Amino acid sequence: MKTFLIPAAALMLCVTAASAWAAPGTVLRNDKLYSQPSASSRVTGSVAKGASVNILAKQGGWLRVTSDKTTGWIRLLSVRAGAGGLGGAGLGDVVGDVVGAATTKSDPSRVVTVAGLRGLNDEDLKQAKFNADELERLEALSVTATQARNYAGQSGLAAVNVPGLPEPKPAQASSPWENN
Amino acid sequence: MKIKLIVLAISLVASSGVAAGFDFGKLLEERINKELNKDKPTQPAPAQQPAQTPGQAPAAAQSAAAPPPSAKQKIDARQLGFALFGDYSLEEETRIGRQISGNLLGAVPLVRDDKLQRYVNLVGNWLALQSGRKDVTWRFGVLDTEDINAFAAPGGYIFVTKGLYRRLNNEAELAGVLAHEIAHVTKKHHLKVLKQSSLIGALGQAASSKAKDSDQVVQNLIGNGAEIMARGLDKNAEFEADRVGVVFAARSGYTPWGLPDVLQDLAGLPAKDSRTGLLYKTHPHPADRLAALGEAVGGRLDAVRGKELADRFYRIR
Repeated sequence: MKTFLIPAAALMLCVTAASAWAAPGTVLRNDKLYSQPSASSRVTGSVAKGASVNILAKQGGWLRVTSDKTTGWIRLLSVRAGAGGLGGAGLGDVVGDVVGAATTKSDPSRVVTVAGLRGLNDEDLKQAKFNADELERLEALSVTATQARNYAGQSGLAAVNVPGLPEPKPAQASSPWENN
Repeated sequence: MKIKLIVLAISLVASSGVAAGFDFGKLLEERINKELNKDKPTQPAPAQQPAQTPGQAPAAAQSAAAPPPSAKQKIDARQLGFALFGDYSLEEETRIGRQISGNLLGAVPLVRDDKLQRYVNLVGNWLALQSGRKDVTWRFGVLDTEDINAFAAPGGYIFVTKGLYRRLNNEAELAGVLAHEIAHVTKKHHLKVLKQSSLIGALGQAASSKAKDSDQVVQNLIGNGAEIMARGLDKNAEFEADRVGVVFAARSGYTPWGLPDVLQDLAGLPAKDSRTGLLYKTHPHPADRLAALGEAVGGRLDAVRGKELADRFYRIR
């Protein structure tokens, strides 16, 4: 009995460590909730795009969320963390006045930077003068492919065959020439 | 907007070409149509419209309305020829990237931590080995600013800011960020932007025919300082870099969820955080990036297992 409890407690600890989230989130597209972080597990419910959820835990490509009375695992990419709602463009039906709009307006690539920015800004970059010394530093710090291969091998990283992802269907009709 | 400029450009070149005794017009039109269509996501043609090359009709229409070229207009034939027919050679690409990077480093220096810089180079080069682009020398650097951002320049120059690096939790997240930037280089996103502007630039030179040394030509091409890094890319290029970057990371043995995890973290930041000002000016909002990536990924990466490597992740001081 006791021998059982220790690994169980250790497991619990791991799960809680990985799941110290409990953050608000918004569902980005209609999707199912599963009983386990796996699409082959039982479906426990579904959530609609725009729904608010609470993120309870995270495991690989899955988030454990609770929405109203339903709790379950949903794909990581079907939810955004944060209280900002759906975000900016491309989600026209609910653009509205989500918090994200404070910085993104309708087209997030067209945002005017707020004055008083302390980090990098346009003007810094525009005014920047070529720094040969720093560039030399950068070049001196580079490593060879062999060194990189060895370093990867030290932690058991190996090349994996993963097919490329498909390009999206032309849902957004606007041409890239008009977005610039 | 831009298309109008190009169209105007076509007609300008076409008419001056004729003036110079060339029958450039037709050739240019074909080439530019090709260029325009190359980057365009394929769109289903409207059902009952007669087949017509897009851009051709407006080009012809504009051509009629275009002002006649003034006598002093002279076009740099080499630059124009390149803009229309050429691709950047590896040497040109590297020189462009070097100039942009040197300027960027003029705005923000590297973090003075050689162990950190070496670590990022080791991870980055391993990823780059799976990117399929072996002709460039890859260089990675962490920039000494609390701003949250990452940059890529042609020729294999990749930068992450200290502000972004600090937010990372493991090597897979770093790999996700670097792989996104590597994808910009392998897909030559910045070069495509430069090519478009060099076409305009070549025509702009009609106004001034002063000779330029080659460094000046590169600098002229990229604009002021490193402003090209502040202009950003088309949002479709960012979505593509996300898709390709996730795959590069997975091919390198990392969990594919590193980049999504970083995007989730950024999505959770307050919207008005000053450290993300430039990031959101040049990139779609993380929520949009997650949504777009989700459409492409679906269940395709369900079977991919990879490493996070939190233990050996180099923690910044």
